[in-house]
Amino acid sequence: MLSRRTLLGSAALAGASAVSGRVQAASIPEAPTMDKTVMQPPLHPSAGPDYQPVVTLNGWSLPFRMNGDWKEFHLVAEPVTREFAPGMTTHLWGYNGQSPGPTIEAVEGDKLRIFVTNKLPEYTTVHWHGVILPCGMDGVGGLTQPHIKPGKTFVYEFEMKHAGTFMYHPHADEMVQMAMGMMGMIVVHPRDNLPPPVDRDFVFVMSTYRIEPGSYLPKVNEMTDFNMWTWNARVFPGIDSLPVRLGDRVRIRIGNLTMTNHPIHLHGHKFKVIGTDGGWLPETAQFPETTTDVPVGAVRVLDFTADNPGDWAFHCHKSHHTMNAMGHDMRNLIGVPRKELAAAVGKLAPDGMVMGNTGMAMGNMEMPAPDNTLPMMTGSGQFGPIEMGGMFTTVKVREGLARDDYRDPGPYQFPKGTVAYEVASAPEPVRRSDGAPTQVRTQR
Amino acid sequence: MQGTIRLAALAAALALAGCASFSADGGMSAVADIAGHITGKEVASVRGDDDAERVRAATRRLLARPLSADAAVQVALFNNKGLQAAYSALALSEADMVEASLPPNPTFSLMRISGDGALEAERQVAGDILALATLPLRSEIARERFRQAQLKAALATLRLAAEVRRAQVRAVAANELVGLLVEAQSAAEATAKLASKLGETGALNRLDQAREQVFYAETTAELATARRAAGSARERLIRLMGLWGDDLNFRLPDRLPALPRRPLSQPFVEADAVGHRIDLQVARLELTALATALQLSEATRFVTLLDLAGLDRKTVEPDGRVIRERGYDVQFQIPIFDGGEVRVRQAAETYNIAFNRLTERAVTVRSEARDAYRSYRAAFDIAGHYAREVLPLRRIISEEMQLRYSSMQVDIFALLLEARQRLASRRAAIDAVRDFFLAEAELSAAVNGGVASGEDSAQQTASALAPSND
Repeated sequence: MLSRRTLLGSAALAGASAVSGRVQAASIPEAPTMDKTVMQPPLHPSAGPDYQPVVTLNGWSLPFRMNGDWKEFHLVAEPVTREFAPGMTTHLWGYNGQSPGPTIEAVEGDKLRIFVTNKLPEYTTVHWHGVILPCGMDGVGGLTQPHIKPGKTFVYEFEMKHAGTFMYHPHADEMVQMAMGMMGMIVVHPRDNLPPPVDRDFVFVMSTYRIEPGSYLPKVNEMTDFNMWTWNARVFPGIDSLPVRLGDRVRIRIGNLTMTNHPIHLHGHKFKVIGTDGGWLPETAQFPETTTDVPVGAVRVLDFTADNPGDWAFHCHKSHHTMNAMGHDMRNLIGVPRKELAAAVGKLAPDGMVMGNTGMAMGNMEMPAPDNTLPMMTGSGQFGPIEMGGMFTTVKVREGLARDDYRDPGPYQFPKGTVAYEVASAPEPVRRSDGAPTQVRTQR
Repeated sequence: MQGTIRLAALAAALALAGCASFSADGGMSAVADIAGHITGKEVASVRGDDDAERVRAATRRLLARPLSADAAVQVALFNNKGLQAAYSALALSEADMVEASLPPNPTFSLMRISGDGALEAERQVAGDILALATLPLRSEIARERFRQAQLKAALATLRLAAEVRRAQVRAVAANELVGLLVEAQSAAEATAKLASKLGETGALNRLDQAREQVFYAETTAELATARRAAGSARERLIRLMGLWGDDLNFRLPDRLPALPRRPLSQPFVEADAVGHRIDLQVARLELTALATALQLSEATRFVTLLDLAGLDRKTVEPDGRVIRERGYDVQFQIPIFDGGEVRVRQAAETYNIAFNRLTERAVTVRSEARDAYRSYRAAFDIAGHYAREVLPLRRIISEEMQLRYSSMQVDIFALLLEARQRLASRRAAIDAVRDFFLAEAELSAAVNGGVASGEDSAQQTASALAPSND
């Protein structure tokens, strides 16, 4: 345990070296900031009770300091720029340099003191979604506390009575502030071993945005027609893969702060949902599945054993949620001969591209797009275009990864003869035209 | 007989003093100077076969290439028969001048009466002494009238040049619009076909098919209208250029020339106009002629007719006696009842009318010059605004829409909608450039003469006020 803490110390130092802004008073802890969008190594605790830390997808955990028996964190609400994927940067609001904000990790029974400084142009509060706490710490502006005006710092103090996975987000002008990306995850590790610890523990929050092609700011008044479907404010191919060692017990904690549900589907494995933001599910209520719906404003915790090596797709099953920005008011051009389409397009848009006459498959086309606009379907694998965007990534199950190694292990090396292949000579399929069943029932 | 000879000698002496002769070119050199200086074109009165041959060759050369405004003006100056008629009228007025500058012809009369064996013969030479005495004055008036006629011919030249310039600009603009609509129609046709194909695959209902096809239908109608207008504009230009037969196959440029880099700066446009305007010079000469006429009236107010006749009469009496008588006869008319006042008043008032007309003309010319310059500047700014602001913005919109189409953000029919809006802007831009070149011709006319007829300028104002922004 001691060796792990030493490792963590260096990580915390690295975090502190990236501190931005001045410490306003000696009594207020520093507010570390993050300028990277790649997944940061897990932050092992430097003080207080020990725990197996989580890894935040394309994110990081917020360092803390001990002050007596209080764990002190400092969140700064501020405008940030976030890269959704290489080629697209957005202007959001977030915490400590990124949106979503850093994951706050604690242990069941910890006493937390969280300083919140508001550097937004309007007031804010922080609501600790799912955490059971005194009413005055619940962060509902106007109802349980005065709003935190721009430039002001408030402090929240409460005890983490329950282990589990929770979220944090503003409860002041929350429609706008959440549409601008103000959110983060809270992971409270159990004091005992229930649920049992795992080898790899991933966490992310889902958020959606409406960003017009060529623009940088989300349209905060959009309620339904979103075009950027993100995990931790990243879209495929900007979402890191989830590398796990063959045989690892894996936990994935998913929060949903979008305005719709997301059926999350994992290939190659079956998992059990073991927890929500309300707590742990009794074992009798857990059942195996490969897709679980994460409702709006809820958390789902999935556990599985990575026993099937390979590169496994892991995504939201709403097909348009695995697309990046696309127009929705489009005619279906399937069935129009390419020549006729080309004639019309050529006249109207000499530089335009002809597509859509057989479907939308276009992963290997170089599509010119407005500035700061990602192709709607993108990413490529070892066999060609993946044609995915949005809420899509892969779980990469490999033998022999190091314990805290979260680097991308590269494409899966398929054992010979284990990949679907083309039949050498395939005649036209034989069809029966009399409508009689093809299976002849044996007479008893 | 001696008296008669003396009279004739007097008449001859006076005639030499005021006599004018015919010029070699019927007065055209002055016209060519004025009109040529302003238009920069050759002005020719076509009289003989040689002239006709030369003009023919020059016209052929000019018509071989796409016809610029300058070339059109030159062709018109050579071939417009109305203008040639005006030049012939000038030659005619030269004859009038020559006539007016000659002394009055003497009257000879011979009388022979016989009866009852008697015979009376009388010879008489009579001349209008007053007319002879006022010959220098009359001849001066005639010269002024001729000079006026020359200016009028120059004015007719400038008017034609301005008309041709306007007609050429209108014809080219109309052609450019046709070109634009042809382009638009072909895009509209392609998308209309796509719409009907989408109807066949089941992607487009009847309502939406109709919506997507109506642009094609409308553009087709607009193209037909534009073609008709372009045909009319071309015919008008043809009429002004006086062309027919094989000459009608000339080509017009595809588009109007680019705007000049910067507009003409004319701070003294009023003064220039007052100094240059031919119609003003005509009015000024009119006034001079009338002033001379008034002098004439003053000079002759008390005696309006002074006929002096030399008489030589021979009488043979019945008895064979011959009596010979010589003498003279003076007849003069004195305006007793009005003392010549009526004629003097008439002349004076005619002069006053001309004076006021000239002043009015000068006021109008100043105003027209200011107005034309302001319109010119405004037209330059508007056309420049289209070229610098509107069209580049349309280009950006077009590029961005194409990017959005390529990245599947917008439907192909959104491109069609954008194309319609772009078309409207490009039409307005063509109109603006056309209006600039019309205003330029107008400015030149306002400074030099050749202002358009009322109908034309009304048309132009209307189109400038309401640019077609369909």
